[in-house]
Amino acid sequence: MEYDENGVSIVSNDFKKEIFEEAKKDFRYEEYVKGCLNCGVCTGGCPPHRFFDFSPRMVLQNCKSNDPALVWGMMDEYVWACFQCFTCAMICPFLNNPGGVIAILREISVRRGFESAKKVLKPYSRVLLKLTAYGNQLSPDMIQPDFFPDWGPHIGYASEDLPLKRKAIPMPTLQVTNLAWDVAPEAMKELYTIFDEAGVFKIIEVVDPSLYEIIQDIVDDVRSE
Amino acid sequence: MAENILVIGGGPAGLHAAIELAELGVNVSLVERDTFFGGNPKKFKYKYLFPDLQPADNVIGELVKRAESNNNIKKYLSANIESFKEDGKKFNAVIKSSAGSETKTFDSVIVATGFEHFDPAKDSKYSYQLFDDVIDIKDLERMMGEGNFTRPSNGKPPKNVAIILCVGSRDRHVGNQYCSRVCCTVSVKQAIELREHFPETEVYIFYMDIRTYGFYEDLYWEAMEEHDVQIVKGRVAEITSGPDNTVICKGEDTLLRGPFEIPFDMVVLASGMEGGPQSPEMAEKLGIELDEHGFLKQANVTLSPFKSNKDGIFLAGACTGPKAIADAIVEGGAAAMKAYIYAKKNS
Ligand SMILES: Cc1cc2nc3c(=O)[nH]c(=O)nc-3n(C[C@H](O)[C@H](O)[C@H](O)COP(=O)(O)OP(=O)(O)OC[C@H]3O[C@@H](n4cnc5c(N)ncnc54)[C@H](O)[C@@H]3O)c2cc1C
Ligand code: SF4
Ligand code: SF4
Ligand code: SF4
Repeated sequence: MEYDENGVSIVSNDFKKEIFEEAKKDFRYEEYVKGCLNCGVCTGGCPPHRFFDFSPRMVLQNCKSNDPALVWGMMDEYVWACFQCFTCAMICPFLNNPGGVIAILREISVRRGFESAKKVLKPYSRVLLKLTAYGNQLSPDMIQPDFFPDWGPHIGYASEDLPLKRKAIPMPTLQVTNLAWDVAPEAMKELYTIFDEAGVFKIIEVVDPSLYEIIQDIVDDVRSE
Repeated sequence: MAENILVIGGGPAGLHAAIELAELGVNVSLVERDTFFGGNPKKFKYKYLFPDLQPADNVIGELVKRAESNNNIKKYLSANIESFKEDGKKFNAVIKSSAGSETKTFDSVIVATGFEHFDPAKDSKYSYQLFDDVIDIKDLERMMGEGNFTRPSNGKPPKNVAIILCVGSRDRHVGNQYCSRVCCTVSVKQAIELREHFPETEVYIFYMDIRTYGFYEDLYWEAMEEHDVQIVKGRVAEITSGPDNTVICKGEDTLLRGPFEIPFDMVVLASGMEGGPQSPEMAEKLGIELDEHGFLKQANVTLSPFKSNKDGIFLAGACTGPKAIADAIVEGGAAAMKAYIYAKKNS
């Protein structure tokens, strides 16, 4: 993949158009993108705007521009800066939903397995594994410096001597580091059905084929129990 | 025999209509719900009017004086229309006032019941009524009119003031999509007044669009060039409390600064105009239509803006939508002419 000077991947104009059309066809799009007066209320209330060059006002304006190149410009890094807190949707005086538009664009990115989606989801592959295979979300052994740089400078210390630290917690725990809570096999089977039906496994297959294989092995094991 | 015409509402529009009709020799009944004539400008003690900053008394005081001294106008204060019925081409109305109830027959009617200020407490992001130092334009008009402009929290002059435009207007959350038309000009005028009287006070205006339409634009330039008013493009997203008894305006400066959080000593909300409860009340009582913005509906917005959808009932002033005093007065005259013609034809 080649990138331009703004870090946006270079693709054909037809492809940009195709992606924009896909977004506009989403059943939510019309509800999320109305008129925009460029007032900046959404951006004024947007938490990441304080830290990055990211603005829900620009998200709405890019969509309203009808210029597929501007929308494509957000597909790589940009859409991943949003926290999905939906403050913007709550406060926009014209009832737009910039965060919702971002959700639509992210889903396209994930469905199509774009590089940016793969990169962003990489640290979460372990979360996806835990969640889809074991019905847990975060367990102590997942705290590793490489994967959670956003946890700050103490992540190195936090990830050492986990079994010992776990024992020091002054309340009942499972006393293991690979699970946070127990999930019954029946509940896990039900979760698998939901993930199947909702297309979650399919998405994982697109963004991370090797993770998908690991998960499917576990799923098969549990299902055959 | 002289015609009888009913004018409901004693603001600029109703006063002017009543005076014009009275000068034509019509018997006018002028019904005002308040204890005084003069409408909103009087009620909120507007001191200087845009566009030329002439004393409000030149206009409002003058209209009231002319109406009060004209014997063809029967004045009803603290009054309302208790009941209203059509009778062929005429109208029977019961006027209730402190003097009791009076039943009269009219040849035609002018409705000039005006507007209400949007109540900024309805939009929680502005923290109106939560913080003492957050006021709105009508409060500021009144403070300036009474000559006591200081911070409500401590009685001291503010170091800096933020004026926030479009409060309660152009906002689907509060149900008002329309522009209130005068608040930009009022705010720019207030900014100039503040800078003139308190040169030490910094004044900021936060806007989406500055709509000082037509010649009102002169005030906008004056504010920038002669009074160094800071004009920032961005709507404020939230008002919170800040250190040292300040209020913080948070938003995005969409052109220059990006995100901002600026502490102010005082915030003035440019709250807009609404049709108020009187518009639906009139619509129901008189059998005329309300429009989708909550004001009274004009028969044809371009051809006959001063007519209601009912023959013999005419409209004037801010009851049909936000407008300036000059427009209200012009419409009062136009409605008077129409009401006179209708009365002449049918009496
Ligand atoms: C803060 C602010 C500042 C402004 N400053 C200026 C300015 O400097 N220059 C300018 O040109 N314009 C200004 N305006 C606009 C101006 O206030 C209006 O144009 C004007 O008041 C409209 O006159 P009106 O007679 O139509 O309505 P109103 O002034 O609202 O008068 C209506 C009258 O009808 C009465 N009424 C209502 N309901 C009933 C009822 N059911 N029965 C009997 N009576 C009733 C009311 O009590 C009131 O007296 C300003 C507006 C605002 C919000
Ligand atoms: S949903 Fe995204 S864009 Fe909207 S306010 Fe939250 S972080 Fe900002
Ligand atoms: S708050 Fe709404 S209208 Fe204002 S800039 Fe954001 S999306 Fe546009
Ligand atoms: S006149 Fe100005 S402040 Fe008032 S609603 Fe219109 S744009 Fe907003």
